Amino acid sequence: MRKIAWLAMALLFLPGIFPGVASAQEGWSIESGADMTSISAAPDGSRIAIGSRDAKALVYEADGGLAFEAPAGNVVNAVELLTDGSLLLASDDRRLYAYDRDGNPLWATDLKRQVKSMSASDDGTWIAAVVQRNDELLFIDGRTGEQVGSVPISATMRTVKVSENGQWAAVGSSDQYAHLLNRDGIVGKIGAKGQIQAIDVSAEGYTAIGTKLNEVELFNPQGQPVHIAKTRDHVTDVAFSADGRTIGVSDLSGYFYIFDADGKKLWESKAGGNGRAVAFDPEGKTLYGGTNDGRILSFDVGSVVAKSKSEAKMRTILWGAAVLAALALIAFLLGWMKRRNKLGIFREIWRSKWIYVGLAPSFILIFTFLYFPAFSGLFHSLYEWQPGGRTTFIGLDNFKRMLNDPFVTKGLGNLVILVVTGLIKTLIPPLIVAELIYHLRSKRLQYGFRTAFTASMVIPGVAGLLIWQNFYDPNLGLFNNFLKLIGLGSWAHGWLGDPDTALWALIFIGFPFVGILQLLVFYAGLLSISEEMIESAKIDGATLPRIIRSIHLPLLAGQFKFLIILGLIGIIQDFNGILIVTGGGPMDSTYVPALQMYYAATKFNELGYASALGVSMFAIILVITVINLKFIKTEDH
Amino acid sequence: MRTLKLIHVRQLVIIALLAVLVFLTLVPILFMLVSSLKSNAQILGNFWGLPAPARWGNYGEAFHSIWRYIVNTIVYAVVGSVLVMALSSVSGYLFAKKTFPGKDFLFMLMLAMMMVPGILTLIPSYVLYENMGLTNTPWAIIIACAAGGQIFGTFLCRTFMAGLPSELFEAARIDGATERRVFLQVVIPLSVPILATLFIMQSVGVYNDYIWPLLTIRDSNLQVIAVGLTIFTKQFGITDLGTRFAAYTIASLPLLAIFSFGMKYYIQGMTQGALKL
Repeated sequence: MRKIAWLAMALLFLPGIFPGVASAQEGWSIESGADMTSISAAPDGSRIAIGSRDAKALVYEADGGLAFEAPAGNVVNAVELLTDGSLLLASDDRRLYAYDRDGNPLWATDLKRQVKSMSASDDGTWIAAVVQRNDELLFIDGRTGEQVGSVPISATMRTVKVSENGQWAAVGSSDQYAHLLNRDGIVGKIGAKGQIQAIDVSAEGYTAIGTKLNEVELFNPQGQPVHIAKTRDHVTDVAFSADGRTIGVSDLSGYFYIFDADGKKLWESKAGGNGRAVAFDPEGKTLYGGTNDGRILSFDVGSVVAKSKSEAKMRTILWGAAVLAALALIAFLLGWMKRRNKLGIFREIWRSKWIYVGLAPSFILIFTFLYFPAFSGLFHSLYEWQPGGRTTFIGLDNFKRMLNDPFVTKGLGNLVILVVTGLIKTLIPPLIVAELIYHLRSKRLQYGFRTAFTASMVIPGVAGLLIWQNFYDPNLGLFNNFLKLIGLGSWAHGWLGDPDTALWALIFIGFPFVGILQLLVFYAGLLSISEEMIESAKIDGATLPRIIRSIHLPLLAGQFKFLIILGLIGIIQDFNGILIVTGGGPMDSTYVPALQMYYAATKFNELGYASALGVSMFAIILVITVINLKFIKTEDH
Repeated sequence: MRTLKLIHVRQLVIIALLAVLVFLTLVPILFMLVSSLKSNAQILGNFWGLPAPARWGNYGEAFHSIWRYIVNTIVYAVVGSVLVMALSSVSGYLFAKKTFPGKDFLFMLMLAMMMVPGILTLIPSYVLYENMGLTNTPWAIIIACAAGGQIFGTFLCRTFMAGLPSELFEAARIDGATERRVFLQVVIPLSVPILATLFIMQSVGVYNDYIWPLLTIRDSNLQVIAVGLTIFTKQFGITDLGTRFAAYTIASLPLLAIFSFGMKYYIQGMTQGALKL
């Protein structure tokens, strides 16, 4: 016992050990005014460099001060800061430049074609460049700028990245293939699902590919896909942190994201403009992001990463604790059962194993297709629900919105009218018909009439509704033709087209409302009333109306209650007829909440809101059922 | 003599009243039958008259447009109902005649689902089927029928099978029959009436279902008759009313067939369900 109490205490205190919410703060931002193409953070974290379309690269200190400006002849496509503080830049002026840490040019190499992408290891020993219309990836000597080698890959290469430790390089081509290389050459070919916009490779050889499908695809060093992370727009850049555990991403809508190695989103922030480039500082605590309007943003994301780590740690601890607690509980239960000599239950369960196997298909279906959606509906009524996308918790907002939705309030008003008229329709005409049939002398006629009434079931429900819709047609309809026939042609009307009459036209569908179930229930109820009671009443001189009022109706109370409940539940849920005959119109005159739910889900894809409407109607039905159960109980006593 | 006469008059009044009500109830059917043989001109010019000449061609045209929907629906209804019968008879038998740990709890789990209205699960079910890739396949209809129908079915079967004499099963077991044989050769044959009831109720349910297929089936080649009729109606508009009514008539035939054989079972199921709830 003591052990369990101790475990419970430990579980209670666990959440307190770890810090609560941590969020990324925006550090500083620089208005460089340059339309940025690329960004690089120095391996020692002291500086960042950006390349811009304005034919220059800018190097900033980590606190935001400008260190120097390096000119080029055309758009700068890539920049790279090295450990020794030197800067490499690749430009559309067909040259590759190197500057030392004070901004003095070291060398410039003419590669004859526009240099579209370039990347280097931190120590500068491996520099790879992609030039336009050349199917070879070029390698450059960092000291002299001379080309020292090449590997043929494809003519459509777009972007290259070399890992910081210089072990791997990854090249993305516009034919949706990426190649993974080490210093000896190509080691793998990766097929991406979408057009490759950005690529990065970590020190361990994991590749991240950002695509036009708004996804970042992660591949292991063997080139197999491992995870996919979703973004909101086309990915523009991806960058691994130095430890390869987190991935920074920018997209075209100006969002910046951090994902962990499992593709789980840890953080996101909207900066505005188009996101162009991202880079991590060497410790992975700061994410630099660049936009097309020249802002360099530095996000202090250390806390986010730390939080996810601590969360992961905490999850392991919690899981461990939960498993321990479960084991302890099972051990305790077993011990208790042993003491009470109840272990036989397991023998029984084992003996009944085939029974459980027999029940399994039923219950698998029940849990998957009935219980799961029911709970999913309850749960998602509190969310903005977008399957496959982002689902955000919004509390009771869906329910609040319902109160202000004119279609719902109008629909509730209509529903009240439908419920009142519906109950009258389900009770009175079938009761009258049941009494009439009951009072027929000839058994044969009784049977004949019952069958005749049930004959209306042979028409499919939808066909029946469509026929009634046709009855209301202004020109061809039965109603207006009938009015003309009896000389009331001036009353002819577009019954369904007029907001004032549409709801009543709907209510009138099914005239004279002799429901078969109701008729049979009442009729069976009348048959079960004993003949003797009626006979003795007759001898006492009771007239027929008196017998109906004082004997039939009280003895049919159970049938009434049952039909009322069934009717209520049915009317609240039903929107079949309205959907087919009027579709809720004209205007909002025939809306009901159930119809609004259907439209919210199908027309507007607002699944959370639709779920909330469903949950509300469920709540009302539940209340009705519970009241009904209470009624039955009080009656029994 | 006078009371006798009075009774006679009263009976005649009742018969007359009922006849009027039956007539009014059947007006849609009569109207459908008469109009299905008319052309548009005949409907416009001679609204109340009988079709002269009768246009039987309407039926050919209508059949050509909707036979596919009817065949689809019948296939879904039969497969779904057979599944419901299989699941319900096994569960119903186990719950009725066997004791095992957790029996009451499991039965409560099933019963509780009867309290959950379809309106709560409609949209989440749609999302579930969509995520499982079941939408726009026949399985959307068949599985929904099997999963939903077996609850009521198990309930009916349990009540019915509890009334079967246990001695019969014992005798069969003593004769060396395995459990499976007892179920297949004793229980099932004795339960034919309740299984027929289930089959008919489920089939009629699938045949009349509108909202669920409308949500889940997009491909016209897989669509069911209820949705098919609305598509058909929109297609023909008011240009060819006779053909529309002919289509409704044709769509009623499968129901007519099943009711003429099994009306008794259907009514049993309906009233039994009513009394048990």
